[in-house]
Amino acid sequence: MDANLPLRLELTGITKQFPGVLANDHVSFSVRPGEIHALLGENGAGKSTLVKMIYGIMQPDAGEIRWDGQPVSIPNPKSARKLGIGMVFQHFSLFEALTVLENIALGMDAKIPSRLLEAKIREVMNQYGLKLDPHRVVSTLSVGERQRIEIVRALLLTPKLLIMDEPTSVLTPQEVDQLFIVLRKLAAEGCSILYISHKLHEIKALCDTATILRAGKVVDTCDPGIETSRSMAEKMIGGNLKDIVKQGGRSLGEPAFTISHLSLPAAGPFGTDLEDISFSVRKGEVFGIAGVAGNGQNELLLALDGEVASAPGAIAMDGHPVGQLHTSARRKRGLCAVPEERNGHAAVGDFTLSENTVLTARNRLGMVSAGLIKAGAARTFTGEVIAAFAVKALGPGATAGSLSGGNLQKYIMGREILQKPTVLVVNQPTWGVDAGAAAAIHQALVDLAASGSAIVVISQDLDELLSLCDTLAVINEGRLSARMNVGEVSVEEIGLLMGGVHGTPEETHIAPGGEHAVPA
Amino acid sequence: MLYAAPVAAVLLTMVLGAIIFSLMGYNGVGAVIEIFTRPITNPLKWQDLGIKAAPLVVIGVGLSIAYRANVWNIGAEGQYIAGAMAGTAVALLTMSMEGPWILPAMIVAGVLGGMAWGAIPALLKTEFAVNEILTSLMLNYAIVHLLYFLLRGPWRDPMGFSFPQTSLFTPSQSLPYLWQGTIMHWGVPIAVIVALVAWFVMSRSVFGFQIKVVGAAPSAARYGGFSTRNTVWLALLVSGGLAGLAGILEVAGPFRQMVPGFPTGYGFTAIIVAFLGRLNPLGVIVAGIVLAITYVGGEVAQTTIGLPSAATGIFQAMMLFLLLAGDILVRYRLKAVRPATAGETA
Repeated sequence: MDANLPLRLELTGITKQFPGVLANDHVSFSVRPGEIHALLGENGAGKSTLVKMIYGIMQPDAGEIRWDGQPVSIPNPKSARKLGIGMVFQHFSLFEALTVLENIALGMDAKIPSRLLEAKIREVMNQYGLKLDPHRVVSTLSVGERQRIEIVRALLLTPKLLIMDEPTSVLTPQEVDQLFIVLRKLAAEGCSILYISHKLHEIKALCDTATILRAGKVVDTCDPGIETSRSMAEKMIGGNLKDIVKQGGRSLGEPAFTISHLSLPAAGPFGTDLEDISFSVRKGEVFGIAGVAGNGQNELLLALDGEVASAPGAIAMDGHPVGQLHTSARRKRGLCAVPEERNGHAAVGDFTLSENTVLTARNRLGMVSAGLIKAGAARTFTGEVIAAFAVKALGPGATAGSLSGGNLQKYIMGREILQKPTVLVVNQPTWGVDAGAAAAIHQALVDLAASGSAIVVISQDLDELLSLCDTLAVINEGRLSARMNVGEVSVEEIGLLMGGVHGTPEETHIAPGGEHAVPA
Repeated sequence: MLYAAPVAAVLLTMVLGAIIFSLMGYNGVGAVIEIFTRPITNPLKWQDLGIKAAPLVVIGVGLSIAYRANVWNIGAEGQYIAGAMAGTAVALLTMSMEGPWILPAMIVAGVLGGMAWGAIPALLKTEFAVNEILTSLMLNYAIVHLLYFLLRGPWRDPMGFSFPQTSLFTPSQSLPYLWQGTIMHWGVPIAVIVALVAWFVMSRSVFGFQIKVVGAAPSAARYGGFSTRNTVWLALLVSGGLAGLAGILEVAGPFRQMVPGFPTGYGFTAIIVAFLGRLNPLGVIVAGIVLAITYVGGEVAQTTIGLPSAATGIFQAMMLFLLLAGDILVRYRLKAVRPATAGETA
């Protein structure tokens, strides 16, 4: 990299005020041409706001953005793209029923004839080794392939700065390696990359520089190659990171939750059929289900917690068949659950936290008498959840929608865990949750298991499953693999199962000496 | 902002109404003053307000519960007529009897009649996924024809000179007046009690919680153990039952017999009442009075300044339009955009 080149992007004193929150407080950092620059921070640290201002979705209240040395203002995403800024969002904006080509054409600022566009797409894909058939319908693609559409869409504009927002949260380890090869190649050609992630080992593996934000301020700019994951995490949270404490000599008890030959047809055209799923979780055991998003995890959670009924004998708690029981009846028997989607599924955004407590805890904790809700009992319990899980909220009367994603997740996890379930099923327990909060949630899950509950953790985050679970299996296209003991299984093995039939042989090729180590 | 939109809607209705009727050559400002202030300033009109507001409040309370559950019952008019007809059927069967049980029996029949008419869209929605807006709306017209048939045939008063109407109800079949010499009947306090009970149930009970959570987030409701199907039934039975109650109170109160002119559109106006009252039973009381003012004031304006009778409907409709528009503007802001932003993917 030539030190004489002007900085690709330079932010000086960027400040953005929202009602009640200073989202960015005099943020300054710079990105050199060809640099892979990580933006790290907890939820609510101001990363998204900052990136939105760079991409023109929001305007800073104060401060200066310089592009290739020139001060610029970026009034909208279109002008950002004109400057050469591309962005790949965490949540894809794709139409499932359209083809890859049609989706890309819809997203282009300029209208290009589709044959010309297809040629350009193929050129970009060949250049970066991105495998994708432009005529495939999006609904048939894996999440990794869908992300490639977004990347191709950004690369078609030959960007000089590519912003990637949490790109690996939905990928298999092999897909992550593949993505990193593309990003390194881009960087080598001079494209700068602003990489937002909370996966610290990835940042160590990929990035040249890391800027760490905390509460809207830059707390440090460091070299991730020198720092350890732990030191970066501690800078992020501004304190010491707690390790999960597992009590030794824990013995697993009788099977508490047994699934045998569970099959369910998909609810809609884009759902996944569940096919012959069987597993059993013992008292005190944490059982993990790994897999890439969209392989039946949501369908499985709905079947396990009773939102969708199944064959009577397919699901049993302590030997009693519960497959036909609805959620309330299963809760009374001791089964609590946390679905992946926080807003509108696990919680109602317009309702207060107290009311959201009534949603799932009313029967187990005696919050109803004679058909009336005991608001006082709900408020007290909500207060306990807020205190025990350090939920940042104005109190039990705050609406769920006013909480940040991570805080809402802490509240939801707390609400279910403090009901002391005998079986707890959670889907993506720490999705979008910062390192400090994730550690607290993990510890609470481990403690609950230690007290004798059976726990099922469905997650796309392999690191999470490996550190949390005693045993795990992999779900792919609605089928569950055999169960494996954590500690006897390699990340590569799990990754291959996760890839399933989606991956081509080249994609699932195991790179020798990969940087993933399995914690024993 | 939640309560500012209805107030703004009413005020804007007055302003726009004044402009529209001025452009049509009437005394627009005078018309608005007649319609909106005369019923309040003239104490003689207060009991008119009460008896107009009562059915609107009873129906509006039921609709506010259904709408909270995202169940769009547009058939309150039909359920109101069905309730009145069921009560009338009991009255016609008990013409030669006497006793304090007759009126309560009519009221129970009225509630059941409204529920039965509400059950049809509930059944179609839960069993065959038919949109309840269409079915409940169409059933309004079906019941009117059933009413006309009965009044011209089996129910016609044999002593009524062939007029298509029933015999007058006996005193045991009529709703008593609150005070002798007034037209204020027991329907008025019943309406207030219905609204207060509904407010308590909606804010404190598991039933109210179920209605609200199903309406706000169906997936969360399912996760919390509330069945959507069950809620659709409850919403339509409660709103149908209350519309039926309003119907029997109206026929046993002011009408005291069933006539072809019984359907006056209260079931439709109550939709405006429910929205203007913010789907809150206490708000519905206030909104019911506001709409009653437009009815009573509209009649005043017909005689004093010769406004056409359709003026009332125009004011009521404007109120709903402006309220719905106001709600959108409270949530969203108008922004001028250039047309060339079709390719945005953010």
